[in-house]
Amino acid sequence: MGRKILLVEDDRETASYLAKGLGQEGHSVEQATNGQDGLFRATDGTFDLVILDRMLPVLDGISVLRALRAANIETPVLILSALASVGDRIEGLECGSDDYLVKPFSFAELLARVNALLRRRESRVGPADHRLTVGDLEIDPLSRSVKRAGKKLDLKPREYLLLEYFARNEGRVVTRTMLLEQVWDYHFDPGTNVIDVHVSRLRRKLDEGFEKPLLHTVRGAGYMLAA
Amino acid sequence: MPTTLRIALLAGLLALLSNLAVIGFIYGRTHDEAVASLHRQVTEQSKVLTDVYRSGGKKALDEAIDDTLAYADPQTAVALIGPDGRQLQGNLAETPSLEPMQEGYRSAVIRLRGQPSPHQAEIVLSRLPKENWLVSGRLVGADLAFRATLERSLLLALLVAGLLGLLCGVILAHYVAQRIGNIAAVANRISARDLSQRVPLSGAGDSFDRLGMQINAMLDRISMLMEELRLLTDSLAHDLRSPASRLHAAAHAAAEASDPAEQEELLASVVRNADVLIRILSTILEISRSEALTGRKQFAWFDVGELAAELTEMYDPVADEREVVLRLDKTERPAPLFGHRQLLAQALSNLVENALRYGAGGGEIDIRLRRTDKQIEIEVADRGPGIPPERRAEALRRFGRLDSSRSDEGAGLGLALAQSIAHLHEGELVLEDNRPGLLTRLRLPVDAAQAPR
Repeated sequence: MGRKILLVEDDRETASYLAKGLGQEGHSVEQATNGQDGLFRATDGTFDLVILDRMLPVLDGISVLRALRAANIETPVLILSALASVGDRIEGLECGSDDYLVKPFSFAELLARVNALLRRRESRVGPADHRLTVGDLEIDPLSRSVKRAGKKLDLKPREYLLLEYFARNEGRVVTRTMLLEQVWDYHFDPGTNVIDVHVSRLRRKLDEGFEKPLLHTVRGAGYMLAA
Repeated sequence: MPTTLRIALLAGLLALLSNLAVIGFIYGRTHDEAVASLHRQVTEQSKVLTDVYRSGGKKALDEAIDDTLAYADPQTAVALIGPDGRQLQGNLAETPSLEPMQEGYRSAVIRLRGQPSPHQAEIVLSRLPKENWLVSGRLVGADLAFRATLERSLLLALLVAGLLGLLCGVILAHYVAQRIGNIAAVANRISARDLSQRVPLSGAGDSFDRLGMQINAMLDRISMLMEELRLLTDSLAHDLRSPASRLHAAAHAAAEASDPAEQEELLASVVRNADVLIRILSTILEISRSEALTGRKQFAWFDVGELAAELTEMYDPVADEREVVLRLDKTERPAPLFGHRQLLAQALSNLVENALRYGAGGGEIDIRLRRTDKQIEIEVADRGPGIPPERRAEALRRFGRLDSSRSDEGAGLGLALAQSIAHLHEGELVLEDNRPGLLTRLRLPVDAAQAPR
C-alpha cells in the first residue's frame, strides 16, 4: 500500500535516487530541498513519514525536527546524517526523531527502516501485549512463551527478544544494524558477524524439524520473518 | 606609540606622582610648622611684655622693651602706642595703620627703624590700660627664608625623581621588551614553518620563564599531533587505496561483463569494497569525535559489570562458533561508572573482537572486571600469539595494524578507538603480556564518592 512520504534533502543526486527507489515501492514522494521549505510542508501534517537530512541549507534538520515536535506534529521522522558518531545518533533520537540513519547507507537499509516506521505507526493502535502469530508460530509477549505448531520452543531471553522484534515486523526486511539497535540497544557497527550468529542460532531453534522455514535471509539487506 | 616608550612614560609618570605626593606632604607639614612656630614666638613675646606691664607698670615695660630690642634678633618688632596713635616706645620706623584697633593676632605690613622698606609681619595687638596698645611681632620674610630654600629643594627633587622614574621606565621596558622579544622571535620562526624552535628559558623561574615553558609545552603537543596526523594521513591513504582500487576494478569489470551471473558477482564485490571504505571512514570519524570530547554531554551513571555481562552474552555464540571458551569473571557488586555507555560498549566490544580475531587460536578468552574505590579495570585476555612489547605502542596507533598484508577491513582501528574512548573517560588502555597471549586492560578512574547509592 502506497504512503505519502516527505523527503527533505538538499543533495539532488541522493534525493532523486531515493525518490525513485521509494516511488518504485509504491510510495508517493514529495521533495523539499531546504529546511524551511521542508518544515513548511511537514507542518501540513498529512504525511505518513518525513525523511529529513541533518545538514540542510536555511534551517538544519534538528531545528526542523524540534519545530515539528514543538507544534505537536507526531509524524514519524527518519533522520539522515553524515555525522556518524554514537553521540550524534543519540542526539538525533533525543530530539524526537524515530530513527537515525548514517550516510552513506544502502537503499535496502533505508527501505527496511522506512517500512518499519510506517508499520510502527499502524501497530501503535493495537495493544503492545497482544498475542503475535506468524503462520503456525505463536508468541505471547506477556508470558514470553513461544509455540510453533503447538510445540513449545525453548528460547534464551535474547533469542526471545530477537524473535519478538522479527514478529512485530512480520513480512518486512529487518537489517543487521536495526537488530543491533533495537534488540541490544547498541549504536555501533560491530566488525564481526555477531548478529548473523545470533540469528542463525534462533533459526535453528525456530525452523529445524519444520518443513516450511519462517526466518528468511534477504540477500544484501538482512532478514525477514514470514510465513 | 611603541609599547617600550609607553611603559617608560608610565613608569616615569608613576614615579612623578608618588614623589609629588610625598613632597606635597612635606611641604604642607613644614608650612604649618613654620607658621605655628612664628605664632608661638609672637604670642609669647606679647604675653611676657603684658605681664611685665601688669606687675611693674609703664616704667618696667619701657625697660623690658629696650631689653628685648637690645637682645632679640633683628626681625623682632615691639612698640608701645599711645592713645593718640603715636609710638611712645619701640623700633617701628613709623606708626602703622592698625585700624581697627582690636586685640589679637594678625598680619600687617610694617617698617622697622633703620630699614629702607616695609615688610610683611605677623603681630599681636594687646590692649593696655589708659588706651595704650602694645604691638609685638616678627617680620615674616626672613623667618620663612628657610622655607623658600626647602621649597626649591623639593621642586628640584621632584624634577630629579621624574627623570629617574623615566630612566627606570626605559630600563624596565627594555628588559621586558627583550624577554618578550625572545618569545616573539621564536614565534616568528615557527610561523616561518620551523616547528622545532623552542623558547629559551633564563632559568630564573619567573613569569617569563613560565610563559616560555607553557609555550614550549604547547609546541611539543602541537608537534606530536602533527606527527600523528602525518602518520594518520599516510596510513589512511595506504589503507584506503586497496579497497578503492579493488572497487574501481570490480566496477569496471562489471560494466564490461556480459554474463549476468558474473556481473552480479562483480557488483557484489563493488558493494563489499564500498562497505569496507565506509567502515574505515566512519571509524576514523568516531575516533576524532571521541577525542574531541563531544561525547561528554551524554555521560551518565551505569553499571560496567552489567555491560560486560551483556557483551559476553552477545559474543558467546561467536566464540562458540570459533571453538573458543569465552569467560566472564566479575564480582556480584555493581561497578558504577559515570561515562558514555554506548562508547564504552564499543570499546569493550572492540577488545573482545580483537581477541576473537587474533587470539582465537588459543582456545580461551577471559574477560575480567575488577573494581576498587578509585578505578574500574576491565581486562580482555586471550591465549593467542600476543604482541611483543616493542610493538605495543604501534598497535595502539590508528592504522597501527601489525600485519600490513592482512586485508581484514578496518582491523587496525579497533584498539586505537578503544584507547581514545578510554581517554575520553580520563582512563587508559594498556597492552600487556598474558604469557602467552595478549592482555588488553581498560583502566577507568571512578569518583566513588559521587556514585549513586
